[in-house]
Amino acid sequence: MGYVAVKGGTQAIEESIKRLKYERLHKEQVLETGQIEAGMRGLIDQVMSEGSLYNEKLAALAIKQAEGNPEEAVFLLRAYRSTLPRKYCSKIIETGEMKVERRISASFKDIPGGQILGATTDYTHRLLDFNLMKETEKMVKEWLSSYASDNNPFDELLQEPDLILPKVLDYLRKEGLIPPLENNDAEPDDVTRESLDFPSSRSQRLQILTRGETGAVTSLAYAVIRGYGALHPTVGELRVGSLPIYVGHPNEEGNDEDDYYIGDIKTTEAEMLMPFMTEKEKGKKELEFEIGYGLCFGQNETKAIAMGILDNCLEHPDNSFPSHNEEFVLFHIDSVESTGFISHLKMPHYVTFQSKLDSVRKTKAKADEREEVQAYD
Amino acid sequence: MKRKQRTEILIEGSHELAKSLAKEIEQKYSVSVIQEPENGLVMLKVRETSRNSLFYLGEVLVTECKAKVEGKIGIGIVKGDHPDLAYHLAVIDAAFLGDLPETKPWAGILEIEKYYIEQNRKAKNEAILRTKVSFETMDV
Repeated sequence: MGYVAVKGGTQAIEESIKRLKYERLHKEQVLETGQIEAGMRGLIDQVMSEGSLYNEKLAALAIKQAEGNPEEAVFLLRAYRSTLPRKYCSKIIETGEMKVERRISASFKDIPGGQILGATTDYTHRLLDFNLMKETEKMVKEWLSSYASDNNPFDELLQEPDLILPKVLDYLRKEGLIPPLENNDAEPDDVTRESLDFPSSRSQRLQILTRGETGAVTSLAYAVIRGYGALHPTVGELRVGSLPIYVGHPNEEGNDEDDYYIGDIKTTEAEMLMPFMTEKEKGKKELEFEIGYGLCFGQNETKAIAMGILDNCLEHPDNSFPSHNEEFVLFHIDSVESTGFISHLKMPHYVTFQSKLDSVRKTKAKADEREEVQAYD
Repeated sequence: MKRKQRTEILIEGSHELAKSLAKEIEQKYSVSVIQEPENGLVMLKVRETSRNSLFYLGEVLVTECKAKVEGKIGIGIVKGDHPDLAYHLAVIDAAFLGDLPETKPWAGILEIEKYYIEQNRKAKNEAILRTKVSFETMDV
């Protein structure tokens, strides 16, 4: 059987794209990107993080165009990103400078600055609130006005304008339970400029983890805790807040005070504590801690914690667990790569499939022939 | 006032302030735009706190503009898509680089704006601090 190259379908494709637009519009409602930006904070943060591009307005536009489908929105954002020039690299961002909006520790009750819950769903009842179906702008304004004027006599008055708090883990460092480390200012690798090779560098691993698909990163970290890994993590510190961004002048030599402030970005940071036994002098064993590190755009606490778990897994390669195998983890958590590959299976595979079909037919024909010969014998 | 503090006040404060300062320069000097405001990216280099090494967190969309005043080229760069603000920042940057006399009283204006920014931040953070947990020991 010969193969025939075919073409066609242009009109069908054009009509299909119209049909897609019809599905988005047929309820005759215009969803404004401002509404998406204001009311879909979680989705915006997820799309910016996986798209590896921080801009709420573009994320809202991508979500609108993708009709709320995160994988499609991330694809759109990554594609747009590739059209823009990279003008600068920021000065080194130190997360100790974070302007904190939420900060908790699951390891220590009393931490300097206290446990600040901020905005979280952790303590909400997961019951559908049908009142939201009747929410009006007037009700929103009234609530906001009441919240703003809600003076509490026990309010803590601040001396400084920002909540910049010491790191919880600095305590453990001072006690010698975490070995002190000098800063390592080696230039990081950039997976958007150079393909990933194995063994990977730490900077490549962290970059891939932070732009990983939230569900994939979470699922693999969950598998680690369930036994498909060798870790027992605790949240040392989880913080959400804004990080200021500075860039230097392209030509001038100057100190930090001559940098340009360009704005801030909201991030979630997780420092996960992993206990492990170390052997000291004369075979004496001691319990120490390692830190698994997670940081991502926006408020996405599950992802930051999961990233911290996987970071530590990949620092300890162990082929008996897939979660400790860098190739397994890093090649399968990227949204565009994984959804792109799965999605491409829908594209015409007529030739490859016909080839497989030919092989099956030939094998079956040979088997039938053998059966006939045996029956004759 | 150094650039770091100045740009923080102009970006975090009312954007009308940057507009009015730039207008003051435009009225007295010839301003030429070297680079129209355009979008681009800034890659974010972060220190992780497990090994204290560096990695790239992702990129942020910025608008950048370059303007020339009295032979000095100023740069305006801001997060997001803000062409007008980027232009105003570039003019102000050029004015400071040229040490123009108009910039002398600006330090006071910027200090006042800084005060309002800090008052707003304090109010916001005092509201956040209402979510601070006050542990009580239980009698068991």
